[in-house]
Amino acid sequence: MNHLKEKIFFAILGIPVLICLAAILWIILILSTGISTLRWELLTTSVLQGGIFEMVIGTLYLLIGAVGVATPIGVLAAIYLVEYSSKGRFARIIDQALNNMAGVPSIVVGLFGYTFFSRLLGLGISMAAGWLTLMLMILPIIVRGTEEALKMIPSSFKEAALALGASRWRAIHSVVLPAAAPGIITNILLGMARVAGETAAILFTSCVLVTRGLPKSPLEPVMALAFNLFVKITVLGESSERVFGIAIVLFLIVVSIAAAAIVLRIYYRRKQPWLR
Amino acid sequence: MVKVEIRNLNVWFKTNHVLRNINLKVKENSVTAIMGPSGCGKSTLLRAINRMNEIIEGCRTEGEVLIDNQNIYDKNTNVYELRRRVGMVFQKPNPLPKSIFENVAYGVKIHRMTSGSKIADIVKRSLEEAALWDEVKDRLNDSALTLSGGQQQRLCIARALAVNPEIILLDEPCSALDPIATAKIEMLIRKLSEKYTVIIVTHNVQQAARVSDYAAFLYLGELIEYGPTRQIFENPRNELTEKYITGGFG
Repeated sequence: MNHLKEKIFFAILGIPVLICLAAILWIILILSTGISTLRWELLTTSVLQGGIFEMVIGTLYLLIGAVGVATPIGVLAAIYLVEYSSKGRFARIIDQALNNMAGVPSIVVGLFGYTFFSRLLGLGISMAAGWLTLMLMILPIIVRGTEEALKMIPSSFKEAALALGASRWRAIHSVVLPAAAPGIITNILLGMARVAGETAAILFTSCVLVTRGLPKSPLEPVMALAFNLFVKITVLGESSERVFGIAIVLFLIVVSIAAAAIVLRIYYRRKQPWLR
Repeated sequence: MVKVEIRNLNVWFKTNHVLRNINLKVKENSVTAIMGPSGCGKSTLLRAINRMNEIIEGCRTEGEVLIDNQNIYDKNTNVYELRRRVGMVFQKPNPLPKSIFENVAYGVKIHRMTSGSKIADIVKRSLEEAALWDEVKDRLNDSALTLSGGQQQRLCIARALAVNPEIILLDEPCSALDPIATAKIEMLIRKLSEKYTVIIVTHNVQQAARVSDYAAFLYLGELIEYGPTRQIFENPRNELTEKYITGGFG
């Protein structure tokens, strides 16, 4: 009787796993219809000649720029929250604000970015407006990730530095931060992977369907894979294999960033015995 | 010569009155042991001497701690310089996640005491003083975390010595070590007292008897008895002290 119960129970537990597997297979199946259109030359050929060069580079520009803006702000905010603010009211308010920020739907963030950065600050449809809007989405991820990484560092490291006569900031930047750096970088990469396919945030703020070459300044609009997919499917009604080819490229970019983060994490786990 | 004088010291953590009216004079170039059962406040007393209690939230200190007749709780005390003069070694060896060399050089660098090749001399001298040089001289660039527990603790001692301290505080430095490593550290402590004033916290009564010149017995935040180690062990005045050193409780 017990044996039967167990079998039934495991069967029930297995169903969600099967659903996930089926979904992944389904995605791969759909994407694979685009494989036939992929050529290495596509990556290096201009859009004007039927390639996707500007889209790939544009996507990377947006990602790197957004992370570039979000990283210093996010890391400093996390240091403040972990090391300086005592668990007072102010820290709780910031904490709650971050939770809310992470929960804002991306289309709302995009709308805010459009009205605030593009219109009010006059950045227009530009890469810079896209960076700032994406930053709003990455910031909670980076702050939370950095907080986690900082909390993993044993307090004995900081105590050792303080006992030698180091100031608090000195102890943080010469001991705590270097030890936490791999964890922080891992989390930044994961944040990057999360927003790499983000469409709504750049929809109104920074993208156009076609540009002549790459943007020459942050104030120029940019092409991006996700935006291109969105317009081709919804506006132009294209659903050819070519669209799926673009989707594969975007998918691979996301997966490789996430993979890099995981490899980095495994490598440093091994080198940092206090994480074990 | 009195090196450290503690006057009417009271310490609270939030509402918990951890140290009650402590008065104590520590002699220069001697080893003073602070004994007592867990939770009696002996670590707090030690950390009052380099103001390390301050990094704990909700800590309040009243009274005076004088080093060379200067109250270190004065408003104009430079706490970084104080912690250079008063080195500390912790219960669990806590080398920084850096190389052996960088661990010893760390304090020298933050205090900008010297630069270039002179740092290497200080590192060598400090490691020799901590009886570690021969074991690590060929692997100074290895991570300090590759050393054994006993070596790590001697590295922490070398790190404290590198910044030219006058007083060394040791907070149960052997409690995480095996008997052989413990014996090495105890020998080292005896030797250090020739040059430095050493204050060691221990809950190991035999250790206090072996290494110290003076011993203090702390119980529930109060200093019960203090005097030459010999007298404390052979002829304790207080009943509690006698009970503790004979293993009655603890």
